[in-house]
Amino acid sequence: MTEFSLTAADFERVSVERRVQTIARPSLSYWQDAWVRLKANRRALVSFYIVIVLLLFTVAGPWIWAVDPTVQDLDQLSTPPGADRRAQIVQPYVPWNGVFTTINESLSDTVGATTEIRLAQPASTQTVRLVWDPVLGASGYRVYRNVYDPAPDGAVGLPLAEIYDPRQVSYEDLLDLTPTRYWYSVIATDRNGREAEEYTTLAVDTIRVITAAEAQTRGLVDLETLLSLGDEVRVSFHPLGTDYLGRDMLARLMYGARVSLFIGIIAPLFFVLTGILYGSAAGFIGGRVDQILMRFADFVVALPFLLFMILFKIAFGIGPGESGVVPMLVALVVLSWPATARLVRGQILQIREEAYIGASQLLGAKTHYLILRHMIPNTVGVILVTLTFAVPTVIFVEAFLSFIGMGVAPPTPSWGSMCNEGIQTMLNHPHELIFPAALISLTVLAFNLLGDGLRDALDARMRSRE
Amino acid sequence: MSNTIPNVSNSLTRSASFQLVWLGIAATLGFALLMVLLSWASALTGSGTSTLNAIDAESGTLTLQLSTEPPQLDSTRATDSVSIMILGHVMEGLLRFDANNQLVPGVAERWEIREDGATFWLREDARWSDGLPVTAHDFSFAWHAALAPETASEYAFILYPLKNAEAINTGTLPGDALGVHAINDRVLEVEFEQPLAYFEELVAFPTYNPIREDFYRNRDGRYGADVEDLLYNGPFEMTVWVHGAHLRLEKNTDYWDRERVRLNVIDIPYFTTDTTAALNLFKDGQIAIVDYLGAEQLDEVLRQRWELLRFGDGSVWFLAFNFDSGRATSNWHLRKALQLVTDPSELVNRIIKLPGNLPGKSLFPVWLQGVNGFFRQEYPAPQIALDASAAREHLRLAMEELGLDEPPSLALLVDDTPGAGRQAEYFQNLYGTQLGIDIRIDRQIFKQRLAKMQNQDFDLATYGWGPDFADPLTFGELFASWNPNNNGRFSNQEYDQSVRLAQSSLDPHIRMNAFGRQQEILFEEVALIPNYERGRVYIKDRRLQGVVRRAVGPDPDFTNAYIVENP
Repeated sequence: MTEFSLTAADFERVSVERRVQTIARPSLSYWQDAWVRLKANRRALVSFYIVIVLLLFTVAGPWIWAVDPTVQDLDQLSTPPGADRRAQIVQPYVPWNGVFTTINESLSDTVGATTEIRLAQPASTQTVRLVWDPVLGASGYRVYRNVYDPAPDGAVGLPLAEIYDPRQVSYEDLLDLTPTRYWYSVIATDRNGREAEEYTTLAVDTIRVITAAEAQTRGLVDLETLLSLGDEVRVSFHPLGTDYLGRDMLARLMYGARVSLFIGIIAPLFFVLTGILYGSAAGFIGGRVDQILMRFADFVVALPFLLFMILFKIAFGIGPGESGVVPMLVALVVLSWPATARLVRGQILQIREEAYIGASQLLGAKTHYLILRHMIPNTVGVILVTLTFAVPTVIFVEAFLSFIGMGVAPPTPSWGSMCNEGIQTMLNHPHELIFPAALISLTVLAFNLLGDGLRDALDARMRSRE
Repeated sequence: MSNTIPNVSNSLTRSASFQLVWLGIAATLGFALLMVLLSWASALTGSGTSTLNAIDAESGTLTLQLSTEPPQLDSTRATDSVSIMILGHVMEGLLRFDANNQLVPGVAERWEIREDGATFWLREDARWSDGLPVTAHDFSFAWHAALAPETASEYAFILYPLKNAEAINTGTLPGDALGVHAINDRVLEVEFEQPLAYFEELVAFPTYNPIREDFYRNRDGRYGADVEDLLYNGPFEMTVWVHGAHLRLEKNTDYWDRERVRLNVIDIPYFTTDTTAALNLFKDGQIAIVDYLGAEQLDEVLRQRWELLRFGDGSVWFLAFNFDSGRATSNWHLRKALQLVTDPSELVNRIIKLPGNLPGKSLFPVWLQGVNGFFRQEYPAPQIALDASAAREHLRLAMEELGLDEPPSLALLVDDTPGAGRQAEYFQNLYGTQLGIDIRIDRQIFKQRLAKMQNQDFDLATYGWGPDFADPLTFGELFASWNPNNNGRFSNQEYDQSVRLAQSSLDPHIRMNAFGRQQEILFEEVALIPNYERGRVYIKDRRLQGVVRRAVGPDPDFTNAYIVENP
């Protein structure tokens, strides 16, 4: 008996020549197709990359830029980016007793101008020491400082001090000295305490200085003995400048992003998950249960968020000076799920009536099979879109709460609290507000555009046509 | 793969983005146009209300902004600086402060202070705003009312030098036991509890202002609550009080010294604590004075080339400790450790950054008078030498005594103003890096902070104390064990004795010695860490002259102010 076997060739059709042009493309799954369309959407793609960069900035940033965000550099308060960093090494600060004259004349009704103002030692950011010649008959002196030339209209600027002792002909200025040019004016006062008409002004250029010991603690040199007086060093580098307490802005933005993105991602994950479970249960069971569940959801929608946030803060026993991030998270999850629940319920109700569900049921599909195989995959687009839109909303809520002081506790930075602090000095040091504000805006915009792109990409009705 | 997206979609996107660009441009233009229209419209309506200028020389009107409206204007219950400022304009006590901050006769024409009491002779022409004379009975009634336990006046203690006052206030004696008697309409007789060196200073305080009995009773508990619930005897009277929105003071034509008052109207249509908002109002010519500025506003003021003025507001700010035995801050070594690393000069020059603030060295500020000259020149404050290693040694001892393995965590109670927050973060970092002490910052609104302080719910607190009268006692008695404002409950027998001595003695040498000793005890016990003596920088319209700023009494004072047309 001979072996008889069939090969594929045996089943080949007897050739009937037909020349038909076929156009085909590889079959695309839902996800592949969505990805293709997302890639074609340039805005969404750019946003997607921005989101990835932000995540890297947050997670990997602090390793690369290993600067402690709580270290205060009181020599570099509110320094804008790109400031001159050269500093000279000087001796540690030694108190100064000032200069006193011994002449003691009778006070007069009118006094003249101070004749000459000198510097007792080179002016620096450590101290500016002024000495002037005594004015005949003066009852005292007033010292002013300006950062603009007072010459045109006599705007002498900041009233630094009033000296009531006519023998004191010196003044030491320590107030918030920065490396710049100051105009010091010294005005004598007469017997009645009135200022003289004439006065003298001295323009002083201060240079940035630092002591050797300070340079070592700041890590500018390995050993302070390597430095001698007059050497030039460069003070610590702050690429985005410093804030009002001399803390590095870049490091603070990175750590601040942790809080913002942590809340912004964790909270939506939790409340969207809650919403899915709740909404699908309501939608699938339907009837009275659905009614009751959804009325409860309506009730939760009506609860005021801020009030509950405060209540949670108290209920959690969050004491003064402790972070309010956990109650914020809980309040967000507890109060934000109904929107997702409604969406998912609507979707489920719709799908439940579809013909293929009926068919599947007739074929004997069980409930959990129906839910896992048909319902959830068909709602996943909606869910993902909700999620991406929830992220920027929550980031914004966090920023707002930290802005009003309900969020993180100092010294932990957060973008919102940084904005709140930056707004105080907005006119003089705009960088303290602009950087965190720009980051909040960028993040919120990126997530929104990404969500927009995802919605288009995941919408089954917009699937690529043949 | 990219072929799978039909080209048509690309072109669609392109045309859509063109549309978007055009829409964007149109929206921007439309918005700009709207802004132009709105500003034009506001200029139109604005011209109708141009009387709201900061200064109107013709009508003698001055427009101001206040941080808040007074809670009420019943002088027996007033505690805050805004109430005291308004009361200083619409009321007058027996004595008042003049333009040089000297005490001068007010309603009292002359007076005599003895060891056991005082007599005041009232002037004949002092009038209430309804035309009736101000009499000695009005003072007697007001002081009785302030001390009555049911009034619950927070400032009742300032009347305690009067005979039996404390007993009446605590309810152990009836009100008529008070050592104050109106002999007739124009003579007021006062008995002291004990000899008193500074009674003149006291009677200028608002709690000592007169109140007319029939009017007070008529108001049925609403005295001072509204514009019609007050009678005025001061240089101005209030004519408008829209709560939270508008106050208007007009010259009181019944005031005995009306020649002195040169302004006709003080209009206060703005209430804001935001100094930037106030500065903007000033810039727009809406208000004539910004009575204090923050460090952040100085650059703008310099840029605008406005004239900057300064004055010391007399208050002393310090870190207060909680001496409750359950708190780590009750440990002397811990307090000493904190003291040894705190540099008030750095705080003033680097954090506060406002000229006029002096680094704190003592509870007693530099402006107080001693026996002959300034108190602080006669009794210099103890010097603190910063010493981080000694501080760490004290901290180690403190941890040993407290039975702790690591440095304690302390709650620092502060106000919720931006400045207070900065100082708190500075302290947090300072004590954290120098001593490893974890500071938890407890920021509270003003009222809540006071409540927490009164409940002793803090470890450390930033505390400011402004003088009620120009005598070192106003500061010294703050740390007396019986003082309700001694929130940390510092208690030291020798200190208490010294305060009692200063209260009862009339000899300036004994008194100043007592204050000198108090200054030493506070330093030795580290009862507080002085931070700064507050100075304030302000700007005013050059046309406005004669404004008086002061540490003690109503501030700012416009009763002597006048307007010059061309400065």
